[in-house]
Amino acid sequence: MMTDDVTIPINVGPVEIARERKAPAPAQRETVFDIRDLEVNYGPTTAISGVNLEIYRHYITAMIGPSGCGKSTFIRCLNRMNDLVPSAKVEGSVLYRGQDIYADGVDPVEVRRRIGMVFQRANPFPKSIYDNVAWGPRVLGMRNGLDDRVERALTSAALWNEVKDRLKKSALSLSGGQQQRLCIARAIAIEPEVLLLDEPASALDPIATSAIEDLMHDLKKDYTLVIVTHNMQQAARVADLTAFFTLEVAEGRRTGVLVEYDSTDKIFTNPSDKRTEDYVTGRFG
Amino acid sequence: MRTTFQDDLDLLEATLQEEGSLVLRALRGSINALDQRDHELADEVIAFDDDVDARYIAIEEGIQSLLARQTPVASDLRLVLAILHVNLHLERIGDYCVTVAKLSKLVPEVNPGPRFVEGFEEMGSRCEEMIRVALASFQNRDLAGAESLVDLDELVDRANRRIVERILDLGGDPAMREYGLRMVVVSRALERIGDHAVDIGEQIAYLLTAEFREFTDASHPAPREA
Repeated sequence: MMTDDVTIPINVGPVEIARERKAPAPAQRETVFDIRDLEVNYGPTTAISGVNLEIYRHYITAMIGPSGCGKSTFIRCLNRMNDLVPSAKVEGSVLYRGQDIYADGVDPVEVRRRIGMVFQRANPFPKSIYDNVAWGPRVLGMRNGLDDRVERALTSAALWNEVKDRLKKSALSLSGGQQQRLCIARAIAIEPEVLLLDEPASALDPIATSAIEDLMHDLKKDYTLVIVTHNMQQAARVADLTAFFTLEVAEGRRTGVLVEYDSTDKIFTNPSDKRTEDYVTGRFG
Repeated sequence: MRTTFQDDLDLLEATLQEEGSLVLRALRGSINALDQRDHELADEVIAFDDDVDARYIAIEEGIQSLLARQTPVASDLRLVLAILHVNLHLERIGDYCVTVAKLSKLVPEVNPGPRFVEGFEEMGSRCEEMIRVALASFQNRDLAGAESLVDLDELVDRANRRIVERILDLGGDPAMREYGLRMVVVSRALERIGDHAVDIGEQIAYLLTAEFREFTDASHPAPREA
């Protein structure tokens, strides 16, 4: 055997891949959201306060923390979903590509077109599978090549092969996991840039959960994903960056605060803040 | 609080400390067997390794179960990984003690003089101290203690070199040469025990700092301060 042919690749290998997975290079980060001093009040109650963080393009960013820490409130600020809560008051700024989405004259519908959302409970319309996906594009006047668009969205959501022969069937005939993927297909049919996922797998069994997590990895190539999850291991499995929120109790008032925001690897191997450590190791409370 | 999980972690660490104390006994036994040419004691040390191995396997199984069922993270994860490595280092040290015990039985009837008994006694004592420092530093989460193992190891290395020089002076008598050959291996085994103790120190440093680093790097020796 000719040993001359044997070359040891020194530039790419497990070490480099591991390093890349561990901490995506800050130089390659492209900021999509820049959140400054965010505070949300529901009437007299402060849900979150003093939140500063950036969300980067083609990253999966996870929000973790105990119940009531404001992580869902936070994610709802990113596409003005809190506008629908009359008592909610948002202060500070949420810059999406440099533009404050809460500035006067910004159309929340346009915000939500670019920043889609998927909720905890799959909520398909009581219509056909096809119509569920086609609904957004139709409303927005994207009528050209609608069939292709529906197929693309269902394929991206890893659902096409399961439903291609029954597109006219009711969406409610699908399983829970399929319904959730249908909601993801519906969200991406209008080609948003960002996908917000609020506990997308908490009502699903492990196999359906695994399908959603695989899907998130695939979607990352085309979208920026932000996920809220109760399931820490889910954050550990899917997210590049993880933000830990907690409830701070001061003068009898409970306020959600951002404690630590770092690479998921750092959060789950060597968190900087003791509160993060206590939460991820299960020594919370 | 995850009480079962914490109990499991505590049990693993206690078993590790127990394994360490057994290894210390094996080391003392093997040095005494060598110094006193006590074959019975040597056999005891050899048989005693089963006790060390039982702890080793109990820790391996405990970690396997813990990883599968509790998915430790952060400092818990580092503790489990450190125990996993230290467990293997202690088991290896136990094996070196067996090597010394076995060789002590193969020593020909020669009298190389008291310098060898003194030399091995010194090396053995220094290795014992290193293992004690390693175990205590682990227990006390003592980074400075863990790092001090490097200097202690240097003393073992020097003692090893002195013994090798003495072996070279043993002369050409066949029985002496056989003795010398056996003792090179004994000296080497003790020297490796010191290295494993330093490796345990590195695991302690990892546990405390989350950084993977070697205290000393044989391929890139740091310039020694005068």
